Amino acid sequence: MLTRYGSLLFATGFAFLLFSLFIALPMGEPPTLAGQAILNEAANSVGAANIVTSVVLAYRGIDTLGELSILFAAATAVGLVLGGQARAPRPSKEDGAGGFILQTGVDLLFPLLLVVGFYIILHGHLTPGGGFQGGVVLAAALVLPVLARPEESPSPAALAWVEGLAGAAFIATGLAALAYDHAFLTPLLGAGQLGDLFSAGTLPLLYLAVGLKVGAELAKLLLRLAEEGPAA
Amino acid sequence: MSEFGLVALLVGALGLIAIGIAGLVLARNLFRLVLALAVAEAGANLLLVLAGFRQGASAPIIEGGSTLHQVAMVDPIPQAMVLTAIVIGVGVQALALALAVRAREAYGSLDMDQLRARMEADIIAAAGTAPTTSQEAPSGARPLPPPLPSPARIAAEEPSS
Amino acid sequence: MIALTVALPLLAAFLLPLLPALARQFLGPLVLLAVAAFGLCLAGNALDAPSVVAIGDFRPPLGIVFYADGVAGLFVFAIAVVTLLLWPCATPNGQPDPQITRKHSLTLLMAAASCALALSGDLFNIYVFYELAAVAGYGLAAGSRTPAAQVATFRFTLLGSLGSLLALIGITLIYFRAGSLNLAHLAELAPSTLHDPLGLAGFLLILLGFGVKSELFLVNSWAPEVYATAESRVSALLAGLISKLALLAVVRLLVLVFPVPEASQLLLVLGMLGILTGELAAYRARDFRRLLAWSSIGQLGAAFVAFAIPGPAGLMAGIAVALHHLMVKPALFLLAERWGGNLAQLAGAARNSPIAAALFVLFALSLIGVPPLPGFWAKYLLLSGLAGEPAGLWWLAGLVVLTTTVVEAVYLFRIIGTLYGHQQGSVMQSRTATTGSGIFALLLVGTALSAPLLAAPLQKMATQLADTDGYVAQVISATITAPQRSGTAP
Repeated sequence: MLTRYGSLLFATGFAFLLFSLFIALPMGEPPTLAGQAILNEAANSVGAANIVTSVVLAYRGIDTLGELSILFAAATAVGLVLGGQARAPRPSKEDGAGGFILQTGVDLLFPLLLVVGFYIILHGHLTPGGGFQGGVVLAAALVLPVLARPEESPSPAALAWVEGLAGAAFIATGLAALAYDHAFLTPLLGAGQLGDLFSAGTLPLLYLAVGLKVGAELAKLLLRLAEEGPAA
Repeated sequence: MSEFGLVALLVGALGLIAIGIAGLVLARNLFRLVLALAVAEAGANLLLVLAGFRQGASAPIIEGGSTLHQVAMVDPIPQAMVLTAIVIGVGVQALALALAVRAREAYGSLDMDQLRARMEADIIAAAGTAPTTSQEAPSGARPLPPPLPSPARIAAEEPSS
Repeated sequence: MIALTVALPLLAAFLLPLLPALARQFLGPLVLLAVAAFGLCLAGNALDAPSVVAIGDFRPPLGIVFYADGVAGLFVFAIAVVTLLLWPCATPNGQPDPQITRKHSLTLLMAAASCALALSGDLFNIYVFYELAAVAGYGLAAGSRTPAAQVATFRFTLLGSLGSLLALIGITLIYFRAGSLNLAHLAELAPSTLHDPLGLAGFLLILLGFGVKSELFLVNSWAPEVYATAESRVSALLAGLISKLALLAVVRLLVLVFPVPEASQLLLVLGMLGILTGELAAYRARDFRRLLAWSSIGQLGAAFVAFAIPGPAGLMAGIAVALHHLMVKPALFLLAERWGGNLAQLAGAARNSPIAAALFVLFALSLIGVPPLPGFWAKYLLLSGLAGEPAGLWWLAGLVVLTTTVVEAVYLFRIIGTLYGHQQGSVMQSRTATTGSGIFALLLVGTALSAPLLAAPLQKMATQLADTDGYVAQVISATITAPQRSGTAP
């Protein structure tokens, strides 16, 4: 009991400490040195209307590469942890399949989700959204049918191919810049007309790679966890 | 946004972090531990977005295809950082859950204290040392198990994909 | 070339599961060999002048830079070589491991993340690649697939994530104060914005966060559990390599952004506590792996103490201590592949495997610091650095180092006594482990023989690492290969 109160006291104290630190900061008026410089020049030098996308894929592109690698590492590690065991028997059609409403709903939603996912990915340089957000929608589209018809899950091998090739495509786009005497991950193909679908150079291509990779990766993770079955 | 609103957001972010950390130190159930971590990470992410907020500024998206009208925009860098932080959090939580599933299968429990005790017992058994309670007893007296225990399951399985 | 050290291993890791079985075996080692060659080139070039590359061709405070000085080049080389020596074994216990491709992928990811940690000049980028190394480490630690390893890894994951959370809050604090993430830019801004309690709180949070992997006192409780349950090669990677890279990230932050006495003293005190707890716990340890884990905590404490000494002298001592540990600890963990378990069962093992026993004696002597082995030079540099500081905490640290050396000697000689004892234990010999640690031993002896030759480059590296003004000038004036991409926006 005493340790519980001690732990609570610790958590409260830590929060109070953080609060007294952060309340001393100029809330609402941050210095934004690097941020303001990016806001000033991003539209001209990168050409994406969504400046967050410029930061994610151009200015801090290697962060995003690291982030993709972390997802890949997590999915690989989950495979390493879960993969070794014999599969729990897949629930048979009677007890695993969804009802009429779920099955029809999924059939209707599946194409819609795919369209929305790709829309969000391909407009990532123009509107809020992008490869990560769209990729999650794609993963949902892939996993939803498994709820309705557990026997029809996407093939893990296909997902692995998509995931590997999309990741390689991201790096290959970065390496292509080296051939033109630029640094790694420099956006190519010119900035284009601000606000057009075909603008911002290679950024939409990079986001497509990100979206496919995130979608495949998350779908693989979710399917892997779902395979464990109820109350493993 | 008013000064009051900003402070409220700050208190909210720090409150989430505090709740998460309290959960991490208090909870014993593995699943709750992962949830506590998720709550704390949400708080840290909110804090990060707050660090880029500017009074009266708009979202960093240029509308209408023109760079001429220069409205004040919030800092885009923390927004990109939050995106990264969220994805990292998702990956780590998935991994932690997978480990929890396997731990529960092996030891039949999700209680951290019990699991820890079982782990210690396993380590001691694998190493062949006397348990810590009898540290003064001669440690070579017991029959020793083979030096490396074969892993509990290296079941036949599909080629790793 | 700088960016390739990160990009190539990542590319290989992504493609590895898709390749045919034959290519899978060779791709990883080939890539690592290339990285090793790059590392040698970088270190060689950097002795003339460090090189900078702006990733994506954006001028430095806006984009991310990779900065290759001598230390970074040396570490890239060391990462490739050590990862090659500790490359996951395809047939542990004689039968093929069905999960080997996943392990190889994770190892490559870890190598890439380590290279990026050594090179990166951006605070958040360092955080991202630290996380990548961490996640790959969790995966590998759970790779031995015993239930105990899974529980230990779960606890490791929780502690590591808590640390990352603290580091992220610290980074937020610093960004909020200074408005930039580039280390060179931060170094310029620091005197006016970060050298106050707020900035130091940010440093403390980041120190605790990155301290998880560098086995800093307070956040190292995972080490004995994980090292006792993970495969020996994985323990060797975590203890030998990843801990040093996390340490290097902290040191860059300390040297460039927080060159203030308070920050150094924080490092000194935490390091001292690490030495004390580590070595005393190692003295009480009954099994080989835990003994190695605790002694590794102690030696990383010594590295923290060394890096706390301000100026090039401290950095040189720190680099020496870190490199020495980098050579010795993986070799000892390789020996633990067969010798893991109760120390008592090692009795008389010298008769079964005389080479392994001889190697252990060599490493133990170097750890204790017997001249002319490299361990002696590391400890000598550390102690003379500490003695050069004003009395007080610094001399206390010197005293702690000297005292714990005696403790170290006692428990290591106890093992040597057991090894060459008359009783008969139950351990077998293992050829692979002996070969691996034999190579480390050759490196160690080579270093000992060439110590006079190595002193000058090491001195130069330490001076470069300490040269904040040079770093800032180099990064801020980094040449952008393209003049400015021409935008056609109206």
